[in-house]
Amino acid sequence: MSDGSQEAFRREAVSHLDSLYGFALSLARERTVAEDLVQETYVRAFAAKQEKAPDDNIRSWLFTILHNVWRNDQRRRRPTSLEDAPEAASRLVASEDPHVLVHREETRQRVARAVGELPESFREVLLLRCVEEFSYKDLAGILGCPAGTVMSRLARARLQLRRILARENRKDGAA
Amino acid sequence: MMGCSGFRLFVSAYVDGELVGEDKAALEAHLQVCAPCRTLLAEEKEASALLNAARPLHEAPPELRARIEALAFPRRDSRRRALRWMAAAAAIGFAAFLGGRAIGEREKRLEPRASSTLASLAVDTHLRYSRGQLPLEVSSDRPEHVSAFFAGRVPFALTLPDYPVGPGQSKSYRLEGGRLVSFRNDYAAYVAYRMEGQPISLLVTSASTAKPEGGSLVQQGALTFHIESVSGLKVITWTDNGLTYALASDVAVEGADSCLVCHGSDQDRRRLDRFPARPGI
Repeated sequence: MSDGSQEAFRREAVSHLDSLYGFALSLARERTVAEDLVQETYVRAFAAKQEKAPDDNIRSWLFTILHNVWRNDQRRRRPTSLEDAPEAASRLVASEDPHVLVHREETRQRVARAVGELPESFREVLLLRCVEEFSYKDLAGILGCPAGTVMSRLARARLQLRRILARENRKDGAA
Repeated sequence: MMGCSGFRLFVSAYVDGELVGEDKAALEAHLQVCAPCRTLLAEEKEASALLNAARPLHEAPPELRARIEALAFPRRDSRRRALRWMAAAAAIGFAAFLGGRAIGEREKRLEPRASSTLASLAVDTHLRYSRGQLPLEVSSDRPEHVSAFFAGRVPFALTLPDYPVGPGQSKSYRLEGGRLVSFRNDYAAYVAYRMEGQPISLLVTSASTAKPEGGSLVQQGALTFHIESVSGLKVITWTDNGLTYALASDVAVEGADSCLVCHGSDQDRRRLDRFPARPGI
């Protein structure tokens, strides 16, 4: 690979840092672990790029690496407790009307809590689809499963999310 | 003919715009006649809109961004700075602490090259530990405890040295502990030391996983040291006895001081005194 194309590849790879970090946070739920995850993803991406250059969809490829690193790490370490609260250490990009932001933040926290209750397999597929807007084909590649599994998992994830949100709404109404 | 339970699986994909062809046409026809499925579709759309509105737009912490950019665009160090490091490298070379080789042998300088991934990782790890962002998995000043922690967790044997000091003397460095650090497809060993308040970081992996590369090269007998400055830190990498080491330290720790981490005995100190505290440029 020429110096110019390697430079371009690396610039594009770094441009996806915020998205990768958000995904890593949703998986790891802990800032330092998420940072490790992202860093390892880039180390592997840059190392692999020296020998093999994927021609397209670098973003999807980076998410695939991150997901694989996480899965391999989970196999070797004790999994993070699902009771751990998602860490709110990351900053949100804010550049809008404060009232809109407050409402959005309330909604975000309500949905984030509901998403946090989902099993990891549901959480990751929902975030990759609804936040990162990957296609089902890309999702199948990232998650290493057939597209049909992606479709059914997403449907079940949304169903469970709706049930959790409905339950929370009932609680709020009763309060 | 497919019933509601079959179509319900399609609704989610329909909302995502992923349903095509006959499946899409069949679902749309079914929605015309099935009120419960229309309700489900409305709920799916509402849930998707809610998720989209609540999308967490995370911004990576500045420290992480700095580390990733350092990985992506490693700076090429000047020969001038590399030469200032040479004596420290020689001292560290002496600290091939599992082998204990003599220093003062003929030095052979080679041309500098781009820094290695291992060196960059050593710097990143060092900075994070220094900032209190990297908790240790084993905290102990006893080498045998830290060595025991790594046993079975890393794919190589690592025995940290414990050099005795004489009566009334105290070690000029202190072992703080260690942790695993992800590196390529496995774990590397990260060992944290402190000397006069300054952290010193040692990263160890197997020679088959990483080989030193980049920086300015200094030949000391059979060992080749790669010396460079990355993000203002001194980094020395070398391979010995099947292991590859990367040692990162703060600029304030000069010359032969760094090797006291591994060679703190009086005998070693006398040998190290042959190196100037601040190597000439």
